[in-house]
Amino acid sequence: MSGLVDAEDLALLATGFEAAMAEETRPAETDQALFDLGWAELLSAAPSQGAATAFRALGTTNSAAGLLDDVVANTLGIDISPQTCVVFPAPHQAKAPAHPQGDAVVVDGLVSARDEEATTAVLAVEADGSVRISTADARLFQSPVAGGVDPGRAFRRVSVEIPADALVPAPAGGSWDSAVAAARTALAHQLLGGARWMLAEARQHAIDRAQFGRPVASFQAIRHKLAESLVEIEGAASVAEACLEGPNPLLAALAKSLAGQAANTTATHAQQVLAGIGFTAEHRFHYWLKRMLVVDTLFGSASSLPAEIGHHLLSRGAAPRLIQL
Amino acid sequence: MDPETFRRDLGAWLDDNAHELAPPYEGAGSMDEQMAHYSYVKRSLYDAGFGRYGWPESVDGLGGSPLLRAMVGEEINLRGLCDPNPWTMIEVLVPTVIEFARPEVAAALVPPFLRGDEMWSQGFSEPDAGSDLASLSCRAAKTDGGWLVSGQKIWTSFIQYAQRCVLLTRTGEPNSAHRGITALLVDVDSPGITYSPIETMHGRLDFAEVHYDEVFVPTERLIGEENGGWQVAMDILPYERSTTFWHRGALLHRRCSDLVAHLVANGDHSDTAAKALGHAFQWLVAFRSQSRDTQHRLANGQQLGVETSIDKILITFAEQQLFGAVRDLLGGVVEFDDGIDAAMWRTDYLYSKAAPIYGGTAEIQRNIVARRLLDLGPES
Ligand SMILES: Cc1cc2nc3c(=O)[nH]c(=O)nc-3n(C[C@H](O)[C@H](O)[C@H](O)COP(=O)(O)OP(=O)(O)OC[C@H]3O[C@@H](n4cnc5c(N)ncnc54)[C@H](O)[C@@H]3O)c2cc1C
Repeated sequence: MSGLVDAEDLALLATGFEAAMAEETRPAETDQALFDLGWAELLSAAPSQGAATAFRALGTTNSAAGLLDDVVANTLGIDISPQTCVVFPAPHQAKAPAHPQGDAVVVDGLVSARDEEATTAVLAVEADGSVRISTADARLFQSPVAGGVDPGRAFRRVSVEIPADALVPAPAGGSWDSAVAAARTALAHQLLGGARWMLAEARQHAIDRAQFGRPVASFQAIRHKLAESLVEIEGAASVAEACLEGPNPLLAALAKSLAGQAANTTATHAQQVLAGIGFTAEHRFHYWLKRMLVVDTLFGSASSLPAEIGHHLLSRGAAPRLIQL
Repeated sequence: MDPETFRRDLGAWLDDNAHELAPPYEGAGSMDEQMAHYSYVKRSLYDAGFGRYGWPESVDGLGGSPLLRAMVGEEINLRGLCDPNPWTMIEVLVPTVIEFARPEVAAALVPPFLRGDEMWSQGFSEPDAGSDLASLSCRAAKTDGGWLVSGQKIWTSFIQYAQRCVLLTRTGEPNSAHRGITALLVDVDSPGITYSPIETMHGRLDFAEVHYDEVFVPTERLIGEENGGWQVAMDILPYERSTTFWHRGALLHRRCSDLVAHLVANGDHSDTAAKALGHAFQWLVAFRSQSRDTQHRLANGQQLGVETSIDKILITFAEQQLFGAVRDLLGGVVEFDDGIDAAMWRTDYLYSKAAPIYGGTAEIQRNIVARRLLDLGPES
């Protein structure tokens, strides 16, 4: 297959993925179920299209499956499996999560829920301005941190020092920058899947909930909040879709930034529309909100990416036209 | 005509003629200078053929996809060859006129507009009918061989340069709302039309108040059906948000590049500057990406509709972010400085304040999205 899979196949896979992700299983079991459904084959046949399909479903279902590990490892040319995890950059950043210090390597990053049962970890180490990819025993990175805002614990911080000789150089594959771009595109689709879910939830509530003798959906302040959410989602989604036309790191950064912004806006507006019930632990809204907060920080956030993009324009000396008719 | 070949040939032709096509004035120029140069550029493109693609042969075009028109305006705006606003009028009005006017009327009247020899106006808004367009009251009374139009319009852009005006009139009972509106194509030199230009806050005579006193309009100048003017208006509005927005997006890209160049020249590589710049640019790209989808839908013959309100909200946001960043980052240029560059930044900054007003206000667009795209039911 030349990069593209049949639209019908994709739709079918999406339905299967969504069903598997919606099951209340441990992340490791979900990962295994997705591999059984053909996730690895999809990713190798259509890396960006396939990832977009799966990550949209991740956003919709709010599953903590470790698919980001696979997208990054796959782009780096490393064989993927439910037992292989990746150490991701620290929050709001996209630089390699580790650097050498004497005989040790200092790691400050994030790991996904997959890390609990993984055997191999992929680590990017930055030294002298270049990034080297290695693998190591995943147990070295098992994070003792139990806290965090997200009850699903999809990602946790890891801060450790490991001996440099614990690392095994990975065979040459894709560059770290290309892995960053792939991760950003996939995460943009996840954020937008989640944002669409939150918008749908708030929309339904606005229609069902009556005050002053009419649905709260009839109040203009409510309508405009939901309308603004949809506009930001559609604008960001259109850029996230454009990323699937071919690799473009700047476009991927824009897609992730816009998607993060759209998800933040939608979460804020949906929270306000849901009001009291949306502030309870009982209502499921907060699971999506909290996951959004976490996913937004991965590989650069809506608050950190605009500066990165702006610096890029300044060093280029112009604003490129990225989208052609 | 294959769009890629067209783009390449157009680019080469514009490069070859860059000197001749550049504005002969410095900065924005006076409105007279701008209009004269617009006519010249439009005429040159017509003569070279590029300006005729994307329009049907029935109106002297050379056929081909509307994408070609989007490309022409994009290149013109990227190169800053002429002010984008006069250019919008043909894109806004003519597709609907071609579809709804009598074919012989369109065939006779559109070609001079296409050649740049004429300008047309859009007479929709009235002093008491802005957002609530369907409440308009400018009356067209049936008479022998046509109508007699009496009433007042306001904010009619470019009327002082225009030969024709697409006018919405009341032909039904005063309270017939959208059911009793008729669209007419009126000659601006008809007896009974008087206008007085209104100065905008950015110091231009962009629009005018127009009085119609028993103005005779012949039957054949009917656009669409009698009392079917609302459908005509609803057909025009999405055009206002498609090709012309693509063109305007190109202008915003150029100004964004100008801002980058200004910052680089000043050695400002601060995080503050980068962040504001990146923020503006990302919405510009979001708009452009969304608008590209719209251009392709148009080119595929799909009917544009309420979904173009998303384009309008996005470009408004992008424009305001961009010129907001200009004001914040240029350190007083907008507020205090003399000189051509400062005047251009000031003009663009002030004009960005009109973006949430013209073509349906920001609030009206949100009402449309809520009602039609989110299906939230009626407003209370
Ligand atoms: C630069 C420029 C060029 C223009 N060119 C033309 C032209 O060529 N031809 C033409 O016909 N018109 C033109 N217009 C007019 C433009 O279409 C109107 O200004 C616009 O439709 C708004 O009408 P209004 O100014 O009367 O505001 P109003 O309708 O009086 O609105 C006042 C405020 O109330 C809000 N509002 C109104 N109704 C609602 C509602 N239902 N819900 C929420 N808020 C609401 C509006 O959003 C606005 O904030 C132009 C305007 C500008 C600024």
